[in-house]
Amino acid sequence: MIYNAQNLPVNGNINSYSFCMDVTGEMFIQKGKMVAYYGALKFESLSAGAYDVLVKESFNSPLYMKNFVVVTGRGKLILGDRGNHIASYDLEDGNLTVRSTNVLGFEPSLICQESTVPGYLTLLGTGKFLASSNGAVHFLEPPVRVDEDALLGWADMPSPSYRYDYSYMRGMSGMIRSFVSNRSSGEEKQLDFTGQGTILIQSSETGLVGSTNLETIVSQTSSLQQHELQQLSTHLQGLMQNR
Amino acid sequence: MTHFRLESSRLLEVELRNERVMTRAGAMVAYDGQIKFEKSILGGEGLFGALKRRVGGEGFDLMTTSGTGRVYIAQNAAEILLVPLQNEKIFIESSSLLAFDDGMRSNTVFAGLRGASSGQGLFTTTVEGTGNVAAISDGTAILLEVTPSEPLFVDPDAFIGFKGNIRQEFVFDVNWKTMIGQSSGESYQLKFTGQGLVYIQPSERR
Repeated sequence: MIYNAQNLPVNGNINSYSFCMDVTGEMFIQKGKMVAYYGALKFESLSAGAYDVLVKESFNSPLYMKNFVVVTGRGKLILGDRGNHIASYDLEDGNLTVRSTNVLGFEPSLICQESTVPGYLTLLGTGKFLASSNGAVHFLEPPVRVDEDALLGWADMPSPSYRYDYSYMRGMSGMIRSFVSNRSSGEEKQLDFTGQGTILIQSSETGLVGSTNLETIVSQTSSLQQHELQQLSTHLQGLMQNR
Repeated sequence: MTHFRLESSRLLEVELRNERVMTRAGAMVAYDGQIKFEKSILGGEGLFGALKRRVGGEGFDLMTTSGTGRVYIAQNAAEILLVPLQNEKIFIESSSLLAFDDGMRSNTVFAGLRGASSGQGLFTTTVEGTGNVAAISDGTAILLEVTPSEPLFVDPDAFIGFKGNIRQEFVFDVNWKTMIGQSSGESYQLKFTGQGLVYIQPSERR
């Protein structure tokens, strides 16, 4: 199949790994995810100042400003994300929280805010957004417990809390594990979802490259006291030596 | 002409009848029959071609696979794109090149400045003649047409290759705001004008 500007899908998938977007106005996309385009499009960083009004209204998340750009103009934009699956979702007066590295793009009719869960963004309102996942996306209903690495996001429901499996941690094998390495397998810690809504998971535990919550951690260090920073520094050095 | 067939989207089967193909060294995963593998020092380009490749940083090793039988070729479970050529010339990123008919001529040509930003070589590989070329693609490859009225812009890291009467330019989408503020991350693009076909992968090369 040979595509050109006329026969490319209109706001649809070209294949599982790429998506074609009809850009007619403004659109937020994650930096570096453009693979090709036809037409006259411009990519500008949010901090450039040209889109202050747009950013103020739709991008209420200064922490992630450097991860996104504004696309303007008219054209066909093809997006790809390291061979990950891409899907588009229509939100209608909704409230959806997605892992920040998986948000590929969204219309400015949506409002983007930082979730209280580090590394996640919440999209509010009505509009279209694009998300990537490692393998296809599956939808679950609460109550359910989910592995953090497989979680993509959740819609119209309360934020999850952590649930620890004490028997897994305390048992004989847990003791051995704690001696052998100080890195837990991650299976003893799950996200617990309750209430009403939908949970989105990917069919893989491979997180996408790039830490989701580094920005959050760094931004929070500014509130630390001197002696707390000292402790953090010692902790980090310990971690570095053990890796 | 050797027979190339996709056993699956990620596995290439080449049937040889006392013939030869050039393949990326180490890409063979299985074979049956009487097949010989030899590392090709000159890469079928002669001494000068091999030198250019070294100097140009198009560092990849080719091997000649010859004999009678079937060879299975794959690379990192990447998807494989088959491009049959009829007395044509394809420009292809050497990091994407997987295999081609030995009867075809390959060469290394200067590709402009894009290597400076994308970490790829300043040179690109051309394969010319009649036969099959197999390329690897991270995710299913997309074929995009370029016409005089519709130029195409491509991220250098997503670019695999092109064929036809196409002019390739390296464009900077940089204005004074981007210079002062943070880069938009899409500042370097390849612009294709003319008439032909461009192959891209839905992924940025790692």
